[in-house]
Amino acid sequence: MTQSSDNPLEAYVRAALALQGYRFDERQIAEIVEQFSRLETIAHTVMQWPLPFASEAAPVFRP
Amino acid sequence: MAAAVRIGSGAGVSPVIGSAADIVREIAKGARSAASVLAETKAQIHARNPDLNCFTATTFERAEREAAAIDALQARGAPLPPLAGVPYAVKNLFDIEGMVTLAGAKVNASNAPAAADATIVARMRRAGAVLVGALNMEELAYGFVTENPHYGTTRNPHDLTRGAGGSSGGSAAAVGAGMVPISLGSDTSGSIRVPASLCGVFGLKPTYGRLPRSGTFPFVNSFDHVGPFGRSVSDLALSYDAMQGPDRLDPACAQRPLEPVATASALPPGIRIGILGGWFHEWADPTARRAVQLVAGALGATDWTELKGAEAARAAAYIITGAEGGALHRPRLIERYEEFGPASRARLVAGSLIPASWVVQAQRIRQQVYREAMELFENFDLLLAAAAPVVAPRVGQETLVINNRNIPTKAGLGVLTQPISCIGLPVCTVPVWPGIDEPPHEKELPIGVQLIGAPWREDLCLGAARTLEQAGVAYCVGQP
Repeated sequence: MTQSSDNPLEAYVRAALALQGYRFDERQIAEIVEQFSRLETIAHTVMQWPLPFASEAAPVFRP
Repeated sequence: MAAAVRIGSGAGVSPVIGSAADIVREIAKGARSAASVLAETKAQIHARNPDLNCFTATTFERAEREAAAIDALQARGAPLPPLAGVPYAVKNLFDIEGMVTLAGAKVNASNAPAAADATIVARMRRAGAVLVGALNMEELAYGFVTENPHYGTTRNPHDLTRGAGGSSGGSAAAVGAGMVPISLGSDTSGSIRVPASLCGVFGLKPTYGRLPRSGTFPFVNSFDHVGPFGRSVSDLALSYDAMQGPDRLDPACAQRPLEPVATASALPPGIRIGILGGWFHEWADPTARRAVQLVAGALGATDWTELKGAEAARAAAYIITGAEGGALHRPRLIERYEEFGPASRARLVAGSLIPASWVVQAQRIRQQVYREAMELFENFDLLLAAAAPVVAPRVGQETLVINNRNIPTKAGLGVLTQPISCIGLPVCTVPVWPGIDEPPHEKELPIGVQLIGAPWREDLCLGAARTLEQAGVAYCVGQP
């Protein structure tokens, strides 16, 4: 496995796991990194999609 | 493992029970009793379930009490409720009073039993339906197959070497095999429509917020819908009407009056129907495209249109699903990781790490694509698309090949459904049997077509389904 410093995605996953209180071994972390990599690929479509500056999120809360 | 027996052309489907509408009529006349219908249902389940693995539990004691109550009403000439004596089963994420709600997960098996029925299960009970059991599903509803690591794989009633789809695989296969005329499932990104497609049955995913989800084990609150499967449009409509109505226990449930559809006829004249191209054409293989053409031809639809934001909506749904599903299960992923199945646990953890900016952007896309769809509905009343990109894949098949592109099976089966559920539109999936130039055994496999309406227009979706059923284009095999 590459050093996480060479791989920002892996570094992010490791930091986020620690921040959220998870404790995993290296094999489990590797699986999670792979899954997060797939999400990141999908997220490219989301983050590059053009939207008007003021476009609102889909409403959820209805007081 | 079950023998690789192929069941085609309805040879393995024996609907001795009959349709829900027929059962109600015959019990009312005194030609059958609810108890005898239940006995036939139990025999059918005993005969077919070992091969298909649809049921994770049966509720026969409760069913006998419910059937006896119907027969007592009939004996004294009292009015009968609309689903009197109709046997049905529910995906095992619906609360059933006195039973643990598994949602396909071992990690739920130690939970306390449900104190009460889910809201729509209680409504089915009040409508006189007879609950016979809980049905297998993909673990925690996170997938489009039902290859459950804890409770086994649910197989396709038309070919035991193939899957039933998911995540409501047990619900679709039980109806497809004729074990029950009606079942209930849920649909977050395609989990009613995909198994309905692969198992050759009718399925209804209503408008987001139409049917209450109270008393169901959640997955993604932004997208979770509940709805019925049936062997006919009439049965779908009967069960849908029985379940309608507001419920303040579900914050997403719309406070709308009941809008019954069961007595409605086929489509009124002048309905404008568009065929969705673009994404929905690119990701449909030749069999799926053929199915859409058969439906379009029968409905007189010739105009193509496009939902340009479909790819973005699918990606947005993927991100929102990961974030909400991961957040929901995070505490137990920390404490009990090994109790989750290997196909879902790393995905769920990864989802819980998604940055907030991705989720906010995804929700903004969702609103934008919804507006784009509303513009389409200024020119069309219904839209057509395949419900699955392919016929049922083999159990364990890792990859789908769609128009020379490879996509993982478990995610790929929902490629045509996810953009639509992302924006909450109502959909009726109808079973079609395209039978084009495929290897001989694939000619007898069904594929579903989505009839997509504007919000709250389930009546048009079901009206189109009726038209297709009457034309002999959409049907379940083994119809009585």
